[in-house]
Amino acid sequence: MGVLAYVAKRFGLYLAVLFIGLTITFMLPRLMPINPVDGYIGQIQSRANGTLTPEAIAEMRANLEVLYGLQGDIFTQYLSYLKRVIIDFDFGPSFTYYPTEVSTMIVTALPWTLGLLLTSTVIAWLLGNMVGLVAGYFHKQKAASILEFIGILLYPIPYYILAVSVLLILAYIFPIFPLSPTFPVGEMTWPKVGMIIYNSLLPAITLVLAGFGWNILSMKALAVATTEEPYVTYARLKGASNWTRMTRYVFRNALLPQVTALALSLGMIFNGALLTEIIFSYPGIGLIMRTASTGGDYNVLYGAITLSILAVATAGLVIDLIYPLLDPRIRTK
Amino acid sequence: MIRLNDLKISYRLGTRTIDAVDGVTLTIPDNCVVGIAGESGSGKSTLMKAIYGDIQSPMYLSRGSIDYGLKGADGSPVTAENVRKEWFKTISYIPQSSMNSLNPVIRIREQFIDFPGTDSNKKRVLERARDYIGKLGLPAEAMDSYPHQLSGGMRQRMMIALATFFQPELIIADEPTTALDVVVQKDILMLLMELQEKMGNTILVVSHDMGVHYQVTHKMLIMYAGRVVEYGDTDSVFADPQHPYTKMLIDSLPTIGDDSMRGVMASQAGAGGDRAYRVEPNLIEVKPGHFVAQPARQKEEVLA
Repeated sequence: MGVLAYVAKRFGLYLAVLFIGLTITFMLPRLMPINPVDGYIGQIQSRANGTLTPEAIAEMRANLEVLYGLQGDIFTQYLSYLKRVIIDFDFGPSFTYYPTEVSTMIVTALPWTLGLLLTSTVIAWLLGNMVGLVAGYFHKQKAASILEFIGILLYPIPYYILAVSVLLILAYIFPIFPLSPTFPVGEMTWPKVGMIIYNSLLPAITLVLAGFGWNILSMKALAVATTEEPYVTYARLKGASNWTRMTRYVFRNALLPQVTALALSLGMIFNGALLTEIIFSYPGIGLIMRTASTGGDYNVLYGAITLSILAVATAGLVIDLIYPLLDPRIRTK
Repeated sequence: MIRLNDLKISYRLGTRTIDAVDGVTLTIPDNCVVGIAGESGSGKSTLMKAIYGDIQSPMYLSRGSIDYGLKGADGSPVTAENVRKEWFKTISYIPQSSMNSLNPVIRIREQFIDFPGTDSNKKRVLERARDYIGKLGLPAEAMDSYPHQLSGGMRQRMMIALATFFQPELIIADEPTTALDVVVQKDILMLLMELQEKMGNTILVVSHDMGVHYQVTHKMLIMYAGRVVEYGDTDSVFADPQHPYTKMLIDSLPTIGDDSMRGVMASQAGAGGDRAYRVEPNLIEVKPGHFVAQPARQKEEVLA
């Protein structure tokens, strides 16, 4: 199969996944036995003590249906939903912050979340893999088990405990970092960028520590198994140096499952954002999602869920496209 | 000429030690193919590792020494201390598991030049290697492929190319044809023998296959329980085996159209369960160049 055909196939799969995800997000609320328009009208009517005329109710219903995109049968609704979401990236206005558009809110918050979580996830992955590789490659030496110990120590700590402890230690007991961070708005200047980095360091440290442990343990286990492979033994008997064997033989082979893990954890970025951003009052998607879920802001939730679907599906696509570069055995299949 | 002087190689297992090879004294002449046979656990692989110089914990040399009698790439004599520097230059190795002895995610050409033996000029080495694999019946493109793109036979040819490329004085082949089908096996063995004749070096072939030994070796070394039971010219060993264990190994070779094998195999299986030979460390020369581990009068003695 040619490269183009492969990419086209994967991309087609990607679109199909997105489509199915969007369809499910559309269908699920509509399977519920409640009609939001009826509910809303009922509320207003009970407040008006039933004084509304049938004409007024009909007019209100029509207005609400247009506003919520609920006019016509379910198929028409579905088509207009797809059109709005895919072509206009429009989820309607936020209920809580009416009339701010959901898409505007997401676009404002997205760089914050991506900046913090992408960077810290990638750093945790790189550090964890390096430490894990050394721990695994030299697993017969006692000193290497200290490295593994770091992983065993960090991995089981629940993130909220880790985050609060780090916050306590580094912002309260030793006030190196601000307890409640401030983030400048408006045009970016270099001092402002410095301030943002300084204020983001604390949440970034907790994220790196949390992701680090798992990566050490996972890489160590993979590296230990790989050092026993006949090709590593053969490389040793050829006289290849420790460095060559560790990087080109053990690492290159143990890397493959770790790349999958990285891509999946990048796809799950918005889940991680929630807790971090609440604890550190960080102005990203997580904070918006939390406000939306407590305030019943459906449109914002829709937007955030769609974004998550997009992220996971994109991560899957990226794995599919990167993997053949790393593993030649997949290329020819 | 390689001399093994009263070699004893042991493994440390906690507080216990196991002597895998015990009291082996041998002389392996130059320009000669030596076959090494013996059952699993007889110490073949341990002996090969020791000769290759790959002695690392928990394995250690508890007695004796190895005189290589070889000169390294820089002209200085090869000793047990510096033999690792000569790997794939004066002393090479062909592994058993050719199927997965090549790194699956790196092109073969990269694996031709990633060890110190090729440090001088990688580009030139690679050019010469391309020519060289052609002579060994491999297409030049094989250099640029990944291991999974080659067949089992091609991969083993590649291992032989790697092992012989620097014209080593000594090659250790650890069951080089076990994973291959019979037709490919024959090709690989023929190739190896052809190369040996050209280079005039010494090859040690470990194999369980007595047929392979009979076809390709000049000398046979039979090992049992960490000791050498018989060592001599292949023709002499096959024609007139002195030790009962050697006899049994040779008798196990099937002959086409020979129905009697069935009975032989069955009786051997019965005897094999609690078979144990006493093997003395001292070899006795029964004929010129043919050594046996115990005096002839003891050879029928089988300890139950």
